[in-house]
Amino acid sequence: MPGGGRCPDCGSTELVEDSHYSQSQLVCSDCGCVVTEGVLTTTFSDEGNLREVTYSRSTGENEQVSRSEQRGLRRVRDLCRVLQLPPTFEDTAVAYYQKAYRHSGIRAARLQKKEVLVGCCVLITCRQRNWPLTMGTICTLLYADLDVFSGTYMQLVKLLGLDVPSLCLAELVKTYCSSFKLFQASPSVPAKYVEDKEKMLSRTLQLVELADETWLVTGRHPLPVITAAAFLAWQSLQPSYRLSCSLARFCKSANVDLPHPASSRLQELLAVLLRMAKQLAWLQVLKLDKRSVVKHIGDLLQHRHTLVRAAFQDGMGKRPRICPTPTVSTVTGDENISDSEIEQYLRTPQEIRDFQRAQAAGQAATSVPNPP
Amino acid sequence: MPSAPSRAPRPLAYWVIPQLPTADPLPMDEETETYLELYLDQCAVQDDFVPPRSPLFSPVVPYVYTPNPSNPETTFNSHLESKETSGNFSSVDLSFLPDELTQENKDQAVIRSKHETEENSETQSQQSRLPLPSGQDVGPGSDSSSLSNSRSHLHPGDANSIQSAPAKPNCNSSPLASITPMTPMTPVSECCGIVPQLQNIVSTVNLACKLDLKKIALHAKNAEYNPKRFAAVIMRIREPRTTALIFSSGKMVCTGAKSEEQSRLAARKYARVVQKLGFPARFLDFKIQNMVGSCDVRFSIRLEGLVLTHQQFSSYEPELFPGLIYRMVKPRIVLLIFVSGKVVLTGAKERSEIYEAFENIYPILKGFRKA
Repeated sequence: MPGGGRCPDCGSTELVEDSHYSQSQLVCSDCGCVVTEGVLTTTFSDEGNLREVTYSRSTGENEQVSRSEQRGLRRVRDLCRVLQLPPTFEDTAVAYYQKAYRHSGIRAARLQKKEVLVGCCVLITCRQRNWPLTMGTICTLLYADLDVFSGTYMQLVKLLGLDVPSLCLAELVKTYCSSFKLFQASPSVPAKYVEDKEKMLSRTLQLVELADETWLVTGRHPLPVITAAAFLAWQSLQPSYRLSCSLARFCKSANVDLPHPASSRLQELLAVLLRMAKQLAWLQVLKLDKRSVVKHIGDLLQHRHTLVRAAFQDGMGKRPRICPTPTVSTVTGDENISDSEIEQYLRTPQEIRDFQRAQAAGQAATSVPNPP
Repeated sequence: MPSAPSRAPRPLAYWVIPQLPTADPLPMDEETETYLELYLDQCAVQDDFVPPRSPLFSPVVPYVYTPNPSNPETTFNSHLESKETSGNFSSVDLSFLPDELTQENKDQAVIRSKHETEENSETQSQQSRLPLPSGQDVGPGSDSSSLSNSRSHLHPGDANSIQSAPAKPNCNSSPLASITPMTPMTPVSECCGIVPQLQNIVSTVNLACKLDLKKIALHAKNAEYNPKRFAAVIMRIREPRTTALIFSSGKMVCTGAKSEEQSRLAARKYARVVQKLGFPARFLDFKIQNMVGSCDVRFSIRLEGLVLTHQQFSSYEPELFPGLIYRMVKPRIVLLIFVSGKVVLTGAKERSEIYEAFENIYPILKGFRKA
C-alpha cells in the first residue's frame, strides 16, 4: 500500500493499486473511491525515454522490402523477359532472389555481386526446368565477369542448399543450332550453304551423342563440342560443296561466335570418326583422312553403336603409363641447421652498403623530373 | 546442409569397399578372386549368411598377389616388411606411417593391422592380386582391369628376396585368424596400390617477437618486401624448397614443403635466419594448417554420373571448371576429381585424412569407370 495517501471521501489510508482496462488506478479499499487515475502517456513524455537505434538493428529491415532488393527483383523480371522465358520461371527466380536476400551475407554484398546474383537466380531456375541457358549467355547479358559469376553462383547454391541439375545437352543442341542462320538464303549465306533445319539438327544431335560416348564432352565446356558437331553435320549433308568451307567461315555465315576450343574438338571428333571408319570394311580400303571421312559421316552415324563398341573395346585415350616412384624423404624435421647454410642467405655488410646505395640511386633517378 | 544421401553406400567400416560395380568386367578365373566376389563375401559375412566360398578365404582382403604360391607364409611376412624387401610390394609406399614409430613398432603396427584385416589371405589355395599400377592401359571400356595387369609389375628377382624375408618377432603368423574384421590401426591402402603423394604443406609458427621487416629485407638476400603490395616479407630457401611469409607481428607462414618434417625443418631454418639477423626469434606453436595430396587412379571417370549419384557432396560445372569438386564429410576433405583419373585431395590437417579420403573415394570412382 503506497504510503501517505488518504482517501478524500472516507479518509482511510487503505489505498490499493488496481487496474481498470489496463489503466492503473489508486482505489480506496473501504469506500471504493477512485483516488487517481493512470496517466495516459503522451508521446512527448515517452519520447524522453527513447534512444536512437540504427536501421540495421531495428526490425525495419524485415518489415519492408529495401530499395536495393526491389531493384534486384525488377532486374530478375527484366532478365526473364529479355530471355523470353515462360512466365512461371519469373516467379521462381524472384522467389530465389528473395530467399537469398534473407541472408545477411547477400544483403551486405556489393552492388556488383547483387547484380550477378540476379543472373544466378535466373540460371538456377532455368537449370531446374531443363531450359538450356549457359553461363556465358548470362554473363554477356549482365556484362559480368565469369569469375565473379562463378563465385556468386557457388556461394548461392551452397547458401540455399539447392540441387541444381546439369545443363541438358540435347536441349542446348536444339536451341543453339536453331540460332544458326543457315536455313534461308541471304547475302552472307550462298545457296549451297543453306540447309534443312531438321536434318541438320538430328545429325548434330547424333554427333554430340557420339562425342559424349567417346569421352569428348566430360570435363569440357559443352558449347564448342556442339559447334564442332554442327559444322561436321552441315558439311556431311552436302560434302561436295561444303568441304572447302572452314570452321571459321561456317560460323561467320551462320552468324554465330566461334568458341576457341571448337577447333580442337573438331579434330578430336574427326579422329573418333576415323577410328570408327577403320572398322567398316568398305571404308578401310578407301584409306580415309580427316577430310574424306566427312563424306561418310552418314554411314558411320547409322552404325555408330556397333562401330564405337568395336573401335574402342581396347580402351580409349591410352595414357602413357609412367609409374612415378614415390620419393621417400628421410627428413625428421629436427636435424641440425648449420651456420654456413643460414649465412648463405644473409648479405655481407659490404653488400648491404652497395644495396642501399643502389636503392638510393634508383629512387633518385625516378624522382628526378625528365628534362624538357 | 546436405542430409544423408539417399543412395548412400552401405555404412560399413571405411576400409570396406562399399560400392558394388554393376557390371563385372573381369573374366572369372579359377585362381583369382574377382572384386565382385570379394564384395559379396564380405557382405555375406556381415549378413551372417553362410558364405558361398570356403571359410578359409578372407572376405576382407581384396588383392594380395603372391607370385610364388607355394610359399604363402613367407609372402605374407614379406608383405609386412615395410621397406626391406624389394618384393611385390616395393611400389607400396609405407612412408606415410608416422615417423615417431620406430622400425619395430612400425612393423608391429602393420602386422597388427594385417592380422585384423587380412585373416585368411594367404592360404594354400589362394592367389589374390594387388592391383599395382602397371604398364597397361586401364582406360574406359577396358576389360583388363588393373588386376590382371599386376603381373607385369612384379620383378622376376623377387622370388629370392621373398624367401629371405627375415622373421618378424612379433608376427604370430596365423593366417587363419578369426574372421571378425576390426578397424586397422594404420590405414594401409588395401583396395589398390595407389597411394596419394603429398604435394604441398602449409604450416604456421609464431616467432614471438616483433620484427622490423625493412631490416630483414635489407639484410637477407632471399627476401622480398613490397609494403604497398603485401604487408609481409616473402622469403625463400633452397633446401627444402619452400617459401615463407613473415609478418611484423612475428607470425610466419611456411608453404611449399612436401612432407610435415620438411615443413618443420624449413620453418626452423627461417626462424634461424631471422635469429641471425638479430631478433630474439623463438619457435612456438608450430602447426600444420593444410596438406595437399594428389594421385592418379589410372582410368577415366564419368563425372556426370558421379554428380548424379552423389549430388549432395559433388559440384560439377563444366562451364566453370573441368573437374568435379567433391566435399567429403568424413574426413573433411575436398577432392578435385578429373575425367583423366587424376585426383587432388586438400584440406587435411593430418596425412591420415588424405589417405582415408582416398580410400573412401576409390571404390566410388571405380563405379564410374567406363563399363
